[in-house]
Amino acid sequence: MNLKTNLKSVGIALCSLCLLVVLFSPGRTTRELAQRKYPNRIPVTFWHMWSAEWKDVVDKIVDRYNRSQDKYEVIALSVPGTSADTKFLLGTIGGDPPDVMAQWNQVIPTWADNDMLTPFDEVMTSEEKARYTKEAYPVVQRIGAYKGKTYGIPIGINLSAIYYLPNDFRQAGLDPDHFPKTLELLSAAGERLNRRDRNGNLTRVGFFPGLWQEMAPLFGGGFYDFGREHVSLDTRANLRAIEFLAASRKRLGYDQVVRFQAGLDSQSFSGGWPFIGGAYSAVVDGQWRVEQLAKYAPKLEYRTALIPAPSGGVVGGGFCNGNFMVLPKTARHKRGAWDFIKFWSGIDKPERAAEFYTMGGWLPLSPRIADSPIYRAYIKKFPQFKTFVDGIGSKNLQVPPPVPYQVFLDDLVKKEQDLALRGDISPTDAVRSLVDGVANELHRRKELGNHD
Amino acid sequence: MTRLQKLGIHLALIALAIPAALPLIWMVSTSLRLESAVYSQKAGTAFSISSLIPQPVEWSNYSKALQTVPLDLYLRNTLFLCAFTVLGAVISSAFVAYGFAKIQFRGSKTLFLIMIATMALPGQVTMIPVFSLFRTLGWYGTYLPLIVPSFFGAPFYIFLLTQFYRSLPEDIAESARIDGAGELGIFLRMTLPLSKSALATCALFQFLATWNDFFGPLLYINDPSKYTLAYGLQQFLSAYGGQWAQLMAASTLFTIPIILLFFFAQRTFIQGIATTGGKN
Amino acid sequence: MNMRLRKDLVGYAFVSPWLIGFLVFTAWPFLRSVYLSFTRYDIVSQPRWVGSANYRVLLTEDEVFWRAAWVTIKYAVVAVPLGIFVGVGLALLLNAKVRGIAIYRTVFYLPSIVPSVASSAVFMRVLNPQIGLLNGILLRFGIVGPAWLSDAKWAFWSLVTMALWGVGGSMVIYLAGLKDIPVHLYEAATIDGAGPWRSMIRITLPMLTPVIFFNLVMGVIGAFQYFTQAYIMTNGGPEDSTRFYALYLFDRAWRYMDMGYASAMAWVLFLVIAGLTGFLFRTQRKWVHYGG
Repeated sequence: MNLKTNLKSVGIALCSLCLLVVLFSPGRTTRELAQRKYPNRIPVTFWHMWSAEWKDVVDKIVDRYNRSQDKYEVIALSVPGTSADTKFLLGTIGGDPPDVMAQWNQVIPTWADNDMLTPFDEVMTSEEKARYTKEAYPVVQRIGAYKGKTYGIPIGINLSAIYYLPNDFRQAGLDPDHFPKTLELLSAAGERLNRRDRNGNLTRVGFFPGLWQEMAPLFGGGFYDFGREHVSLDTRANLRAIEFLAASRKRLGYDQVVRFQAGLDSQSFSGGWPFIGGAYSAVVDGQWRVEQLAKYAPKLEYRTALIPAPSGGVVGGGFCNGNFMVLPKTARHKRGAWDFIKFWSGIDKPERAAEFYTMGGWLPLSPRIADSPIYRAYIKKFPQFKTFVDGIGSKNLQVPPPVPYQVFLDDLVKKEQDLALRGDISPTDAVRSLVDGVANELHRRKELGNHD
Repeated sequence: MTRLQKLGIHLALIALAIPAALPLIWMVSTSLRLESAVYSQKAGTAFSISSLIPQPVEWSNYSKALQTVPLDLYLRNTLFLCAFTVLGAVISSAFVAYGFAKIQFRGSKTLFLIMIATMALPGQVTMIPVFSLFRTLGWYGTYLPLIVPSFFGAPFYIFLLTQFYRSLPEDIAESARIDGAGELGIFLRMTLPLSKSALATCALFQFLATWNDFFGPLLYINDPSKYTLAYGLQQFLSAYGGQWAQLMAASTLFTIPIILLFFFAQRTFIQGIATTGGKN
Repeated sequence: MNMRLRKDLVGYAFVSPWLIGFLVFTAWPFLRSVYLSFTRYDIVSQPRWVGSANYRVLLTEDEVFWRAAWVTIKYAVVAVPLGIFVGVGLALLLNAKVRGIAIYRTVFYLPSIVPSVASSAVFMRVLNPQIGLLNGILLRFGIVGPAWLSDAKWAFWSLVTMALWGVGGSMVIYLAGLKDIPVHLYEAATIDGAGPWRSMIRITLPMLTPVIFFNLVMGVIGAFQYFTQAYIMTNGGPEDSTRFYALYLFDRAWRYMDMGYASAMAWVLFLVIAGLTGFLFRTQRKWVHYGG
């Protein structure tokens, strides 16, 4: 008993000692992090949602900016996790916004409507504006635009294309050098590439198409009519798109796919990505996979191709979202923020900015960036990336609908798609439910005092 | 207790402990894998014990995790917050609970129910008013919003302690009152010492809550040098998935101190081996 | 000074920390959110008064509300009793004087300690239909397990089971309660010839009732606000089978920027929980035994 009590006291004493040491020892890291590197400069606070490896990239770019001029110091804060939105929101409405934010989510319509963002038209010189309008890709301009003004400068557009394994194609007697030119042909090829085990479970999917939102533009559809500036859901094209997706899912087997997919780490940003393991012969995914493949599966022989349109469809159709910089209305140092954004995005000096895009594996803002030597070298290093760079110039790329209930719409589209792809409802009903759901929501919004 | 009974208990415990422990063994096992091997198992194969043991064992995830985020800094910040919140929560809650449990003052029942009711409203909708409140007070950007409220008692602990105090016998306290002792004296000299186990339980819970709190610091603090371990853990997740092996390594490191804390502190709030004593 | 008044003052003195904190930190946000529930508030602009529109739409026109309410009630009805049953049972078992009991207790408490980001990741792996632990074990017995979290029929029950892992927290509270049961009661019972089972029913359980009551109330309050696990693991799916009330509230509040409506949702929930809790407090007299 005595020994035990003694041990216990010793244990407590040790713990307290450790605690004191930890709490009160001077931390090298504290000082490093807390001190500003350039205390005499105007501070520009920058919040972003990058973490893990990307945080390092962001820190490097910020450092390069700080070293390139001597008026401002950008101080970056990584706000990871799902709560980032809340922090951004509260910080902004609370009156303490950062000077510049890199946002993923489509906050532009609501925030702009409520005067929370400064349109870039106000901070650009007329020359810069002209350059931007003339040079930036159409989809880039579209994604940041709202009601005729530019509220977001995209620095990392995402585009999806097809990743495929030539070997699989060859084995099935298909020619990987002549990638199927229409969606129907690709589907047929996919059928031949499916593999199942003795119990009928899928072990490989030949062609796994993308989301409804991604595929609809290829059929001439999409959920927003940018010409007439209103949401457009109930179109033949949208219906054909979901019919196509449901039909190909049915051929694979609804439940089969659920099980198959659940067993894969589709979210993996490393060696676990199912494509690497051969789970798909052809799959639709985003441009960020190219670097991932280079890093984790450098020996894998794979190719990329833009998603072919169905016959009679829209070539170059697709859907983009991405990260963009916004300028809160109550930001304190707007000049500095704009200077920083120009630096990173390449509106100013595209050749210099090209390097930043390559550091993050991001798609370029304008053809001038894509054509710069640094970027060209990057594409040489990752030849499969070229598909995406080529694709991003298309005029037929859609972006998330610029409406205040955008998130609701996105959720509903995904939900109806999920039901249709589980075989629970027919494609026609999916479109119907989507239309009804949105109509209900609009009605509701009106009843609750929204004036959209 | 007979040997057979003891054996029976052992068997039952082991049987139940396996599902409880297995996912955590998985966590440690994943932390020792190569990132690419985290999802590499073939689909549909039967489970075996050996599948839990990573081959090869990759210790570097731990050093990588330590390099990716300044865990020592975050640890210091977290301990700082834990110390203050635990102190504040336990002391204030003990006080308040005594008032509710042992003193029949007018309105105590109503107040008590109001207090319970405050736990019934989801925090999502009070977040904004609370935030602006702290901003108005000028506490935005400091640790104050995270520390000060705990000194005003937390309904959870108050409720728990009330239940404990209520089950303490009143006879000795009564005689003390008759002898002229004040409530404060009774509280300090009699109730508190008798409720060590409950107090320790509250301390443990509060420690854990602060240890795991990611959102509080994130919301109120903009200086990364003030962030906590929970924040550091989030750094391993990115929008495109995460560095799972490192995340598990960091999580294991994150969990070990609590495991040790619990293991060694058990005596305080759980009945010890001694068969005599208990409470007199 | 009269005794009654004196007693009141002392009582309020003790309770003052909470009272002050309540008035400063809690009352104002609560009142504000009541106000907001009668407005159209999208966070970024000023609230606009709409009267009872939020409540009306919520209760009469919102299908998702009823769905979420149903899922949540189902959860509470199942998870709370289950949690108490398992918690008490486990605590009794872990109170036994066998060797190494401290290790067992730590093991059972582990799931409550592990950060939810990690434990959710681990559980999603365990429940993975192709390569998960559970189906792997079932396969050993020749059973092909369902897709658990991806299966509309099983996702809900998977979450219920996962909630059981968190029983370690309440288990600790029960253990603390068990410690406080005076030993002499057991001694007296043994003298009277009662066996272990008897003394458990006659002494242990009744003496535990204050703590059981605590966990019951907290369990109800927690179950109706169940959020984190569902948010991380299923986010409402598949097919809305796990669309809990708090999830829908979160969506309305922060993602659809409909904070006024969400406030109304919160207060409806509040009324339900408060009503239930009040009812539980009423029943205290019948079955909760405060010693001393």
